[in-house]
Amino acid sequence: MIPNFAVIGIQTPEWHLPRLWVPLFLLWILLVVLSPLVFLVLAAAAIAVKTTIWRLIAVFWNLLSSLRGTDVQVVADGNRLLVKLL
Amino acid sequence: MNENRRQILEMLAAGKINANEAERLIAALESAPATPVAERSAGLPGGGTVKTRAKYLRVLVEAEPEMTGLKGTTSVNVRVPMQLLRAGVRLASLIPAQAHQQLDEALSRHGVPLALSQIKPENLEELIDHLEDLTVDVDSKDEGATKVRVFCE
Repeated sequence: MIPNFAVIGIQTPEWHLPRLWVPLFLLWILLVVLSPLVFLVLAAAAIAVKTTIWRLIAVFWNLLSSLRGTDVQVVADGNRLLVKLL
Repeated sequence: MNENRRQILEMLAAGKINANEAERLIAALESAPATPVAERSAGLPGGGTVKTRAKYLRVLVEAEPEMTGLKGTTSVNVRVPMQLLRAGVRLASLIPAQAHQQLDEALSRHGVPLALSQIKPENLEELIDHLEDLTVDVDSKDEGATKVRVFCE
């Protein structure tokens, strides 16, 4: 399953942004609207790498699905950044 | 069946552990804590270790201000799902065959004598599986100390 939410937190010495929960599942709507264009891009990519479009879709779907659980936290110079994919 | 679970059942069948210990070990497997795989012990008699399948690759970096020139300690904490590494490996399978030779030559020029064309998907899966045993600890004692820790959890 692809990530449903991205949690983003940014904090600097001057200000602090409350943790943002970005609903990634809403991107599905955008993807449905843009699906003809996405399909064309994938078809072109499949021809370029000499594979089938279905294999390409499978690989990218697999990549997207595996993003769930990714967690990046960086603290530098008093600034703090947090990105989590749930 | 999960390999660790099988191992526990085999120990139970061999009489090395009793049913209660087996139950405790299986429960420990199911609620594995976020510690490096190599350090994980599920309370085997005699202090043995049961290896569980790692889910994430964790990279921790801490650098002192003298090293970075920034105020305060700089730290990076990245957790990457092992599944993402596997997906990345599958993505590499999309590289066209004719590009393999060019890649091999380029790698060789840069001192990496690796023939990508000789690597099969099952080898890459094996490589990812062996990453689970990987633990890298770098602790610089010089001025401007930096600590790097890479492990699977």
